[in-house]
Amino acid sequence: MAERHFLADTIGSKPTFSAEPWYSQDGDCLVYKMANEASIADRIDELLTIYRSAEDSCPIGFQIKGIAAIIGRFGLAGLSISSKCDAEAVRSVSIAALLLAAYEDRPFTLSRRIGYAEAMECEQSLQKRRIPFSELQPA
Amino acid sequence: MAADYVCQTLDPNNPDGPRIDVVFPARYTLGLYKHSPVDFENLRAAKYVLENTERIFFGVREFNEGGWCYTGRPSTWYIRETIEVPFPKNRLFAVYVNPLMHVFECRAEFADDLDPLCPVNWRDRYRGLTWPKDIF
Repeated sequence: MAERHFLADTIGSKPTFSAEPWYSQDGDCLVYKMANEASIADRIDELLTIYRSAEDSCPIGFQIKGIAAIIGRFGLAGLSISSKCDAEAVRSVSIAALLLAAYEDRPFTLSRRIGYAEAMECEQSLQKRRIPFSELQPA
Repeated sequence: MAADYVCQTLDPNNPDGPRIDVVFPARYTLGLYKHSPVDFENLRAAKYVLENTERIFFGVREFNEGGWCYTGRPSTWYIRETIEVPFPKNRLFAVYVNPLMHVFECRAEFADDLDPLCPVNWRDRYRGLTWPKDIF
């Protein structure tokens, strides 16, 4: 039997899996994992990391770092694009736009193109493809 | 109610001195608890690495000044919520800590070919190795 988790008393012992992107305030990064399994972090560049399944190396998620810097450079308006003018669109950031902004930020190389394409493929599986501005506040 | 968790690790500014506090912030661990249970389980590996550190690197993030990367190799990790297996060869476990000694990321990474306790391409990724100083 597994040893009791050291956080069991403060958080709980029955974590839930929610395949949704979330913003880590301490890391100033957006994290998305679409499978509840162990992964190996494959750093593509300073801004993007692909999470690969520890079992078969397939991409199962991604992390975009430096969210505050990306927003600072492109502006919230430049990242709020939406195919329709709904109320949510003007209060949230498109994850696809964040990925593209991160891609634009560095020299184009084949390895970067492949890495960002893998992240975009993961992004397609997202139900929630936007992050509210209010959640993007670094620590 | 989630709460910060504190354990002890090497002081990156004085690795040979007394150990100092390092914090797993509640908002980070709660994020893993809600969104990635396997990663939540692998916080055990992160705690092990902080308590049994093999390497410390500095200058780990381009847009965030300061910070450290602690690496090590736990004997086991979780590949599914209830499946614990030996930690794989050619991999290491990295724990990223900000200048306030708050953990902000814990993850397995590919290991360097020359030193399996260093992340791959570490010379390009980090500004340098803080500890131990006498291995390269």
